[in-house]
Amino acid sequence: MIPSDWTCPRRIGFLFPHPCGRSSPVGCPECQNGQIEDPYAQRTDREGYDNYGDYDSADWPGAASAAGAPGEPLDFTEADGENLVKPEEEFEGDLTES
Amino acid sequence: MGSRRSGLWLVYALGGGWGHLTRAAALARVARGPVRILTNSPYAGAVCARMPELDIVALNPELPAARAREETVRRVEASGAACLVVDTFPRGLGGELATLLPKLGAVRVLIHRDLNPDYIRQKGLEEFVGSSYDVVIRPGRAEAGSLAGLPQVRTTAPWLIRSAHELPSREAARRLLGLEERRCVLVNAAGNREEQEWYGSVTRALIGAREGVAVRCVAPVCPPGCPREAWLNYWPAMDLLPGVDAVVGGAGYNTVNECVACGVPLLTRAWPRKYDRQSLRAVGQAEACPTGIDEAVAAVRARLGGPARTEMRREFPNGAREAVEILESA
Repeated sequence: MIPSDWTCPRRIGFLFPHPCGRSSPVGCPECQNGQIEDPYAQRTDREGYDNYGDYDSADWPGAASAAGAPGEPLDFTEADGENLVKPEEEFEGDLTES
Repeated sequence: MGSRRSGLWLVYALGGGWGHLTRAAALARVARGPVRILTNSPYAGAVCARMPELDIVALNPELPAARAREETVRRVEASGAACLVVDTFPRGLGGELATLLPKLGAVRVLIHRDLNPDYIRQKGLEEFVGSSYDVVIRPGRAEAGSLAGLPQVRTTAPWLIRSAHELPSREAARRLLGLEERRCVLVNAAGNREEQEWYGSVTRALIGAREGVAVRCVAPVCPPGCPREAWLNYWPAMDLLPGVDAVVGGAGYNTVNECVACGVPLLTRAWPRKYDRQSLRAVGQAEACPTGIDEAVAAVRARLGGPARTEMRREFPNGAREAVEILESA
């Protein structure tokens, strides 16, 4: 039985972990019906993607004007990635938790 | 094996609520040698009163975290335990065991209840547990078990505070509930203080729905909104299960596993926790998962539409007994 307001707490994502949020694990391609405990950590298809790639304005001229920053570097960085994910939860600070 | 039986087992059971302490008590009750439980549960007094034979060291749950860490380390070091059994939190709930474990001469055992994978990743727990623990016991296959791939993992049935032969008959359980021969819904209000109002409201709504069933709410303090005549202060609630037809409760380890063992239908609300993922446990094991008051009443109504229970399941394993065997041979 799945609660009506259930949202999956597992982590998914390719570059950055984020909550799955699906309302059911049934048929889920990420956790494969709840069989994969941590879909983000257990992805095996990241070969060949060892950095964030290049998004230089010479190659992506439209992106510079869309970003409103002509001449600025457009490369995607770890700092951008941090903005996409929620701050890390703090653990081991509260001794009344369970 | 002989020394393991005669030496002290110290069970680290820090953590809020009933769960860690109840699991520790389940082990201590069936062990054949001395067991001491270290806890900061606010319910330690209730457990001591009900089971005075247990050796329970209760830290003040109001202690500031730094003081609680210091006191915990001091108690562990002074215990001289032959075996340290750590419930759920490999580094200790406040991280205070991380530097202590490598220096400890005791056999180190982790009870691996479900843990938030963010916590496991952030603290590097897979590597830490792999190198710091001699044995890891997963207390039930349904526990998510993020560390279950480690070579020292052993899996048992769920640990229960009562074994099958210890439970009262249906009639005796109904006497504990103060009931005539009417069907009964038990609202098991285990959980945090801020969750008590939901249980109180569900109890009141079930009584108001006049479904022809008795309603009891078990909790150490009468929850807000719960009619006092329906409230029962009793532990362990597992003793009451032979006398009830359905349970409304949270999806904590003990509530879920006790109902599953006894074959009692569980209508559960999965509450958010920092470390435990009740929602995963609820999905696998509950019959319904209401969140609203009306939804809970409807779920009870649907459940009680079937034939009444006449007798509970009388055969189920108690994983705490398996754990004793594992610890004695560790």
